Amino acid sequence: MAASIPDDIFFASITEINQKLKAKEFSAVELAKAFCARLEQLGPRYNALALSLRDKAVKAAKEVDGDIKRERFRGPLQGIPFGAKDLLAYAKHPTTWGAKPYAGQVFDYDATVLKKLTKTGGILAGKLAMVELAGGPSYRYASASLTGPGLNPWDPTRWSGGSSSGSGIAVAAGLVTYALGSETSGSILTPAAFCGVTGLRPTYGLVSRHGAMALSWTLDKIGPLARSAEDCGLILHDIAGADPEDPASAGKSYYYAPQFARDLKEIKVGFAPVDFSEWADPAARPDFAKALETVRSLGVQMEETKLPDFPYGPTIGTIISSEASAIFEPLIQSGDVNQLADQKQIAGLKAGLEIPAKDYLKAMRIRSLIQEGLRTLLDDYDVLVAPSRLGPAPKITQPLDRPSSDRPLPKERGMTTLIAAGNLAGLPALSLPCGFADGMPIAIQLVGRPYSENLLLTLGKFFQERTDWHKRRPALQG
Amino acid sequence: MVPMSTKLTRRQLAAALSTSAVLLAQAPAPLPSNPDEELKAAKDTIQQNSAQLAKFDLPMATEPAIHFKA
Repeated sequence: MAASIPDDIFFASITEINQKLKAKEFSAVELAKAFCARLEQLGPRYNALALSLRDKAVKAAKEVDGDIKRERFRGPLQGIPFGAKDLLAYAKHPTTWGAKPYAGQVFDYDATVLKKLTKTGGILAGKLAMVELAGGPSYRYASASLTGPGLNPWDPTRWSGGSSSGSGIAVAAGLVTYALGSETSGSILTPAAFCGVTGLRPTYGLVSRHGAMALSWTLDKIGPLARSAEDCGLILHDIAGADPEDPASAGKSYYYAPQFARDLKEIKVGFAPVDFSEWADPAARPDFAKALETVRSLGVQMEETKLPDFPYGPTIGTIISSEASAIFEPLIQSGDVNQLADQKQIAGLKAGLEIPAKDYLKAMRIRSLIQEGLRTLLDDYDVLVAPSRLGPAPKITQPLDRPSSDRPLPKERGMTTLIAAGNLAGLPALSLPCGFADGMPIAIQLVGRPYSENLLLTLGKFFQERTDWHKRRPALQG
Repeated sequence: MVPMSTKLTRRQLAAALSTSAVLLAQAPAPLPSNPDEELKAAKDTIQQNSAQLAKFDLPMATEPAIHFKA
């Protein structure tokens, strides 16, 4: 019954689809079948699909139709098809972590976030591709995945971004309405920026990671990639909350409440001009400049600032390498690590076992100062704004650990290390599409204090009321 | 025994910050061409990170972010 679903629905917001379901313009089963058919048809073309869950999705959709018939409304996510990064356990189905050594792995329980979403009537349409082991300590090529390189729907010769590659692709191409991804250091913000969708990295501990592959116990977060800031808020509302099964759970709930936002005139936004004028790819500068002006036009107070000076890169690199190699020690010691696709990832995991305890502890002690430093900075600013990535997605063949241009580097660092800094401090971040460069999407990120998601999402909502970048659609191949 | 506080004054924090060098990107080395070179490159990266961390002077009272709270 895919023909009964208008094409616009594949790119509609959660609220729009939910209203149409309640108005019985189409049934949840029709919707699920249409999305699953699209996911199965287009997903493999972009290397976005790890596993179709069509049968389970249709079965769940039948229950939703029954609930709607009896006017048992469970919230805006009821009946909405979504996808989940293949690092989330889904009982009795393969969960590959994007990596050949785990291709046959099956858990007997569901990740907490999937339990929460299915409880409110969410329809899990499929598991989505990812960079192997969520990127591990590092990787060199976009092809570092069991399913091949994530191909960008805006230009399949370019990378989707990772490690939540399938999540970014599937939302951008209208294969699902939203997707769950995970971020240790950039894995939600990067594919969201490169694919032109909205991505939210929640505060560390706000969303349970029970049932998710661990890459770094002290850095991993689960969050949504979706069509808009508002959709991210609705999703976070359902997936956040205390979970005794996650030792890092903050025990906090989250209520999406943009109606209670502070007066924007009171909001102080910090930015570093050098990020937008010198660090950014030249092709991206015009739209980044317009994005800054749009933020300013919201009525907030804009002030120049920069990040405190810390060795963010070596700190986060040491922490991720140490924790990832400890987590995957059995894989490394067994030799099965050599089945991974990316030589740099294999070498990084092996080498990580040799990091001395003193280095890990030094990094964690510096991290304490980084948290303190960012807390001090965010005493003065409510929000920091910077490019999510400095330019558009690279070609899939380009080594990711090599610069894409030989431009001389600016002397001032600005906030170019905001992804590492924000993750080290556990801060929430929202990536908003803000234009194009070389025909590819670019985005800005908003970063705030811990648990300031409502402020970030409100700013994002106002930004998206004044722009339509998040509504642009790629011309899909075939 | 009362544990030492990890709460830093702004002055202590400023002192710690002033000792860290701004890291500018270095010219990239050629891509490794085999697994042995790749492993050596990975170990070199760890050494470089270690050297950067070693340059950073920490107040003795600074505890690791083990009880990590955002």
